[in-house]
Amino acid sequence: MRYILRKFGLLLLTLWAAVTLNYALPRLMPGSPADAAVAKLSQNGPVAPSTRAAIEAQLGVPTGSWWHQYTQYLDNVVHLRFGVSYTFFPQSVSSMVGQALPWTLVMVGLVTVLAFVVGSLIGVAAAWRRGTWLDSLPTLSGAFLAAFPYFWTALLLVFFVGYVFGWFPTSGAYSADAVPNLSFGFVGDSLYHAVLPALTILITSLGGWILGMRNTMIGTIGEDYVTFAEANGLRGRTVALRYAARNALLPNLTGFGMALGGVVGGSLLVEQVFNYPGVGHLLYSAVTNHDYPLMQALFLMITVCVLVANFIVDVLYGVLDPRTRR
Amino acid sequence: MSLLDVKNLSVVYEPRGAEPTMAVKDASFRIEEGEFVGLVGESGSGKSTLGFALTRLAKPPARIAGGRILFDGTDVAALDSEQLRRQRHGGFAMVLQSGMNALNPVRTVGHHFADIFAAHGHVPRQRRRSRAVELLEKVELTGAVLDRYPGELSGGMRQRVSIALALSLEPRLMVFDEPTTALDVMVQHAVMRTIRELQEREGFTAVLISHDLGVVLESTARVMVMKDGVIVEDAPSREIFERPQHAYTRTLLGHYADPRAEVVELPGLPADGRRTAPAGGGRGRAAAQAAIVVEDVSRVYPGRRRGDTPVAAVREVSFRLEPGQSMALVGQSGSGKSTLAKLITGVEQPSSGTISFGDLRVDRLRRRKLHKLHADVQMVFQDPYAALNPLHTVEYALTRPVVNFTGRSGADARRRVLELLEIVGLTPVEQFAARLPHELSGGQRQRVVIARALAADPQVLIADEPVSMLDVSLRAGVLALLRDLREDFGVSLLYITHDLLSARMVTDRIMVLHEGRVVESGPTAQVLRFPEHDYTTRLLDSLPQPARRFAAAGSDGDAA
Repeated sequence: MRYILRKFGLLLLTLWAAVTLNYALPRLMPGSPADAAVAKLSQNGPVAPSTRAAIEAQLGVPTGSWWHQYTQYLDNVVHLRFGVSYTFFPQSVSSMVGQALPWTLVMVGLVTVLAFVVGSLIGVAAAWRRGTWLDSLPTLSGAFLAAFPYFWTALLLVFFVGYVFGWFPTSGAYSADAVPNLSFGFVGDSLYHAVLPALTILITSLGGWILGMRNTMIGTIGEDYVTFAEANGLRGRTVALRYAARNALLPNLTGFGMALGGVVGGSLLVEQVFNYPGVGHLLYSAVTNHDYPLMQALFLMITVCVLVANFIVDVLYGVLDPRTRR
Repeated sequence: MSLLDVKNLSVVYEPRGAEPTMAVKDASFRIEEGEFVGLVGESGSGKSTLGFALTRLAKPPARIAGGRILFDGTDVAALDSEQLRRQRHGGFAMVLQSGMNALNPVRTVGHHFADIFAAHGHVPRQRRRSRAVELLEKVELTGAVLDRYPGELSGGMRQRVSIALALSLEPRLMVFDEPTTALDVMVQHAVMRTIRELQEREGFTAVLISHDLGVVLESTARVMVMKDGVIVEDAPSREIFERPQHAYTRTLLGHYADPRAEVVELPGLPADGRRTAPAGGGRGRAAAQAAIVVEDVSRVYPGRRRGDTPVAAVREVSFRLEPGQSMALVGQSGSGKSTLAKLITGVEQPSSGTISFGDLRVDRLRRRKLHKLHADVQMVFQDPYAALNPLHTVEYALTRPVVNFTGRSGADARRRVLELLEIVGLTPVEQFAARLPHELSGGQRQRVVIARALAADPQVLIADEPVSMLDVSLRAGVLALLRDLREDFGVSLLYITHDLLSARMVTDRIMVLHEGRVVESGPTAQVLRFPEHDYTTRLLDSLPQPARRFAAAGSDGDAA
């Protein structure tokens, strides 16, 4: 319990540091957006001070001491006020992010967890039956599939499964005529739309988990405690899962934490290919449209996700490995 | 009918991409119900492979290539995996080498017992906890350890737990594979006593596998000696001790001596410190000029976490290591001897007190000056397998310090490297220079490590357990080398060890360390022969003493 509190304190501290950096970095850059605009205008002749003042007012250049600005910024962050989007004016940034986030979190998040669980289980089985087809088949195909660039896998799926066979929709998160709500019909419809992007992520990330788990598992199978458990006549399944796999899991958790942290930011290309209205898709349009408020909010959110994922993994470590609790 | 009947057993190792090797060759023996048999051999002799074959734990690349193992009349090889699993209860059990890792680090001791009880169903659920406590009490532990994780127990406790776990199977045959090797001397002694008492009381048949003939002779009634996969001798312990038949047994036995004796001799290490090899190298080097003076030194480590009490590893230690002297620093693990070595080499700074070498204040040195110290004070490490970079040749390993400390380069440096190899007796030198560490035996590696320490032309060598990882037959050579070096080059030697016999062989003076304090010091022979401090006596008593056992048993037969 004390361990979790300590880790939570650490999470708050790093969160604060991340937010502060996010505040400080743009302000440390020389010049201001108003300068850039004025410079552009001055190519056509002298710019009146009133014009400059107008530009500043329009951009909302902040006033007051840095401390005042900083506290105000913190206050805004806490209340999720990130300003108004340039591209989707007059929608607020937080409502844009709020619409995109659930799609990414649910679709990519669930698939990431699923890939980890399934991949690790296959890895355990492969290592336990080392040298049989149960080992060579997943290991080889895993390595093969993991070698594909995932946007290419996505394109293949779009073309064959979506276009040639027409089994699954190739674009969007739900049918054009559907109204988002929590009815069975709508959830079914969105699951149907999520199949292809989810499959893409599953196919490309599964191999890594299989290989990673298989390799650490082969290491733990050689440990004395596994031999000793066998010598004591424990059932094969107990030895494989509670003794070998349980310990082999620990180093892979770190990778899982990184994958979880990457859920929000890392699905850009997949969402782009499938025109999926998630965070990646939003980030892409923010970048192409120079939508700074949106970008800033998204970057901050990606950072927060990585930190929260790390916290989750730290807690998992505490639960799974008694040695870290001390 | 014998409990165990092994007929013409052969085990082969077939690693992928390498030549198969016969680890056990045509072994035949019987073990009767209730017997306690020792299986002795050096590393690579095939003793552990044989033990794993007996308990059917041999895994690829090891394979039983021929012969049969009959356990209580049934062929062990004929059991399918479920039959094999079931017979682990009431059949053959095994306690592994380095009990440190034999327990699952993420499960409590109680879970380990519960797993076994659940697998065999021989203890009803409501009796499980009390049965586990009963078993723990047999190995002199209490029920308090049930809720602990292995990482929270000491090495000796962990090995006791694994013995209790093996006992919980109510086995008829117990195979102990080096049960005390990784443990501290005094703990070793206590665990062996527990094993002996258990065997007598519970009456199971036992096989004790060990590299240490002394330990085996002290405990078992019969000994099998293995060399290169062959059982070369199989006789009652007393016979082995008094009338060893095979030359190899005699060699092994020759390396046992009582450090308390008036005159102690080992093969290749005569008692009076006479030279064992003609003076090698032929480089008349100036003898050590400066003494190491340690005054009132303490080293306190802060607790692991805030609020934990600090640990004093070394407390108020003072001594002088005169030029050309050799001094032993003995004590069990945790006595502070390695910490002291770190302080003297400047790797760590003392919390209080001073250490000086000539006009250098070692305790105040910073990085740059340390280089100056290390030109004169060099270290020989415990584990020759870890002390050499596996990617570099011997020549490279030796050239670095030659270049760094003596300023030689090119052909001059190479000449010095070959000279060093000559000094440590690795000839032909050209051949050894080109080798990689994995192409050398443990003893040869340790010689390279010593050569590397000598490369700087040091005045002082600090050797931290230089022979503890080596087989007995290799030890004498390395010890003789250390002794000769002192004579040839006048280097002073600080010899850190828990092994009193080797301390007696290579040093003039001895300091006994206990819980960071020097409890006794003086001339080595005198301290070991007439120890004054209680702790020194206990250290001496924890050495295996087969001679005492057979003398005590008198002439009326073996102690069972």
